[in-house]
Amino acid sequence: MSDTISKTVFHADNITKTFPGVVALDEARITLLEGSIHALLGENGAGKSTLIKVITGVHQPDSGIMTLNGQVFEPHSTRDAIAKGVGVVHQERNLIPRFSIAENIFLEKLSAHPMRPINYRQLFRDARKWLDLLGIDADPSLPVSRLSVAKTQLVEIAKALSLNSKILLLDEPTASLTSHETDTLFAILRRLKSDGVSLMFVSHKLEEVQEICDQVTVLRDGRNACESRPLAGLDRQAVVRLMIGRNEQIPDWSARDRSGEETVLELKNVATSLGHKGIDLSLHKGEIAGLYGLVGAGRSELAKAILGKYAITDGSVLLHGKKVEIKSVADAVGKYRIGYVSEDRKSEGLILLHSVLENVGVPVWRRLANLFAPLTNRAIREHTEPYIRKLEVRTPSLDQNMGNLSGGNQQKVSVAKWLAAEVQILIIDEPSVGIDIKTKAYLHELIRELSDQGTAILLITSDMPEMIALADRIIVMNDYQVRGEISNTRVYDTMSQGIMNLIQGEDMSAEEAAPAAS
Amino acid sequence: MAIDVRHNQSDAFKDMMANTSQQDAPPRFSITRILLSNEFGLLVLIVLFATIFATISPAFLSKFSLYALGRTAAVNIMIGFSMMVVIITGGLNLSVGAIGVSAAMFSGLLMESFGMPWPLAVAGGLAVGAALGAINGIIIVRTGLHSFIITLATMSIFFGIMIFLTHAESYRGISPVFTGFGRMKLFSIISPLLLVTIVVALGLSVLFRFTALGREFLATGANERAAELSGIRVQRMITYCHMLSGVLAGVAGLMLVSRTGAAIPSMAGQLGQDWLLPAFLGPVLGGTLLTGGRVSVLGTLLGSFLVTMLTTGLLLMQVGAFWVQTYLGLLLLFAVLVDLVRRSYLQRRKLI
Repeated sequence: MSDTISKTVFHADNITKTFPGVVALDEARITLLEGSIHALLGENGAGKSTLIKVITGVHQPDSGIMTLNGQVFEPHSTRDAIAKGVGVVHQERNLIPRFSIAENIFLEKLSAHPMRPINYRQLFRDARKWLDLLGIDADPSLPVSRLSVAKTQLVEIAKALSLNSKILLLDEPTASLTSHETDTLFAILRRLKSDGVSLMFVSHKLEEVQEICDQVTVLRDGRNACESRPLAGLDRQAVVRLMIGRNEQIPDWSARDRSGEETVLELKNVATSLGHKGIDLSLHKGEIAGLYGLVGAGRSELAKAILGKYAITDGSVLLHGKKVEIKSVADAVGKYRIGYVSEDRKSEGLILLHSVLENVGVPVWRRLANLFAPLTNRAIREHTEPYIRKLEVRTPSLDQNMGNLSGGNQQKVSVAKWLAAEVQILIIDEPSVGIDIKTKAYLHELIRELSDQGTAILLITSDMPEMIALADRIIVMNDYQVRGEISNTRVYDTMSQGIMNLIQGEDMSAEEAAPAAS
Repeated sequence: MAIDVRHNQSDAFKDMMANTSQQDAPPRFSITRILLSNEFGLLVLIVLFATIFATISPAFLSKFSLYALGRTAAVNIMIGFSMMVVIITGGLNLSVGAIGVSAAMFSGLLMESFGMPWPLAVAGGLAVGAALGAINGIIIVRTGLHSFIITLATMSIFFGIMIFLTHAESYRGISPVFTGFGRMKLFSIISPLLLVTIVVALGLSVLFRFTALGREFLATGANERAAELSGIRVQRMITYCHMLSGVLAGVAGLMLVSRTGAAIPSMAGQLGQDWLLPAFLGPVLGGTLLTGGRVSVLGTLLGSFLVTMLTTGLLLMQVGAFWVQTYLGLLLLFAVLVDLVRRSYLQRRKLI
């Protein structure tokens, strides 16, 4: 430990945790200091989640000691950990949507006395204090379901703080925030830090880690690749090297222009039942067209309207130059060969209850089925297994339940599914949500390779570096409308500036943006 | 798009191939898995209780007793199947009894009042079953309401209309060939009705294992949104499941007609409620997931058989009929608890 100026709040020493057949944590160590933000990094499966679960009392370690404020800390349940001062903001929302902000913040306290009548006026006043502290501009009596994702996240933080948390664990807090919302969150985290709170920050976004964290602990295969080391002086490459044990390979792809190729998909002045208006968009063979916009710009919704899930109320959709009406997703998949990789793979991308084989086979069942021969697992396996292998999905067998796979492998399966279906147009929505650097790089290469082989790809992502790395052309959306498009020069600064200008509606045409970039 | 996967033989790829092919087979057929399976557990219970009943009351193993057991089980299993095919969509069908009786009454009407030959009358009855099931399905899909509330309503509606149209009177002019079928004994202990049930069970197994349709039913039940975005017509699948449920309920109703020789409005009790307990017991004991997406045809068959055997055995031991109901309720509760323990064990070992 090099930094001993601040007081140690939490310390975990030689934590080992094994599950049948796996050593999840092997003598892992971490030290959290007062008034600092500590990054916990590692690839998927490195043991981050297990460590968090040990600290929050979900799992008990096989060996090792934890101390909190100098006292031995052995939480036997999550409730116990919370009571002793460990606050967590999980990746998945843990609030009750129908309840008010105030009720959610004080849920633990209220449920301790189930029969006592609730003094709402007092409750709202108490909640107000926390909201003000975090700078949340919302009425405490408002139900959480009416809040934006970002504000919901802040309410969770308020809830954790209200429980007198001494340390606060934030598990991928920015995963579904826009860059502006992220900035707001960071301002709040910095303020909490200066108030002396000890924060632990888990994220896959290294840019954010660099921006906000003071120390870093990296886990690799359950062991410390580095322990509680000051982040100052470590550049991105050094962190990546700690995480994956080698240098990150940043693809150095040249800019492409595929606008001369056949137009595979074209939208002309399209309006949808969800409120899109005057959408003009084209997608060429072998092209990756990016659809950039802030969360809530209507990109995923537009994708689903193209697929036929939502009605197109005006304008026309052309596939290979011919006007079509896609009435259902089944038509889009079966007849027109359009695939969609969802941003929300757990609830609408995959069937977690079913096996890998079942999941990867869904779009091809009907094609493989034959009136006179049974549709056997073997037939499905023969058709789909090459793609599973191609994507290097790590699974003990194809019969494994989808839910038992790691996030990265789940994402690979949701892409493999559409490769197996041999789609001509693939819409990929947020391809790298919650997956690690290695898998992300792998998916990027794959997407590029697919387009080189002629698949037209519509890429939706809120991750600007990802967009600039992959897209040939970037279409910017805001408020359910297309604001303009820029061909990608792959020069990060000028591109991101151009995109932000389009979002903010400044009068900057694509012609002006492109030369400025080159 | 044609990624040429076959020529991509990098070293890592070869490693993967070696790994996957080695690890592919074992988990599916591991002994632990079979021993911990629901079906095996049910088989043990069936053998256990059969031994107990046979020891206490030797009449249990008499030819007639076994014949009667098989015949009753045939109907109960069919009722279980009727519920099962809706449970897999994550829904349920409270109107199985009402549909079954309506279908049976319509067949009775065709035979008695129109003098139709029995195969046509049977087809007519099953068509009514399918139609009533389709009504359930279409309303559920169109309104987006839970099947519980819709089928609760249609249970009353179907039954009420049936009573109104038939004036609550039975049809006794059933074709002798048809009733002969329900009374026939093969090898002096097997009822042909049991064979019908086994054929249907095989048909359902094939449906869920070897057809795109059956797989799409299960995918829809497991995760409707994901299924839709993968190109499955989920609304149609849900409607089909309800139609199939209606047809199977119709088959169960017709089996009862064939056995008793008459189509009687009260054969499934008021509103068809007498069928509800057997309808749920079979699939739940058999390991069909109540939240949808997972099915066990064999499990439902064994579960319903076990329930029928317990009922018969307890009655034979002269336990009062009300006590039998109590025991069945306890059994249901017990089965669900055992299943919970089993499932969490498997989950921990990552076997499912």
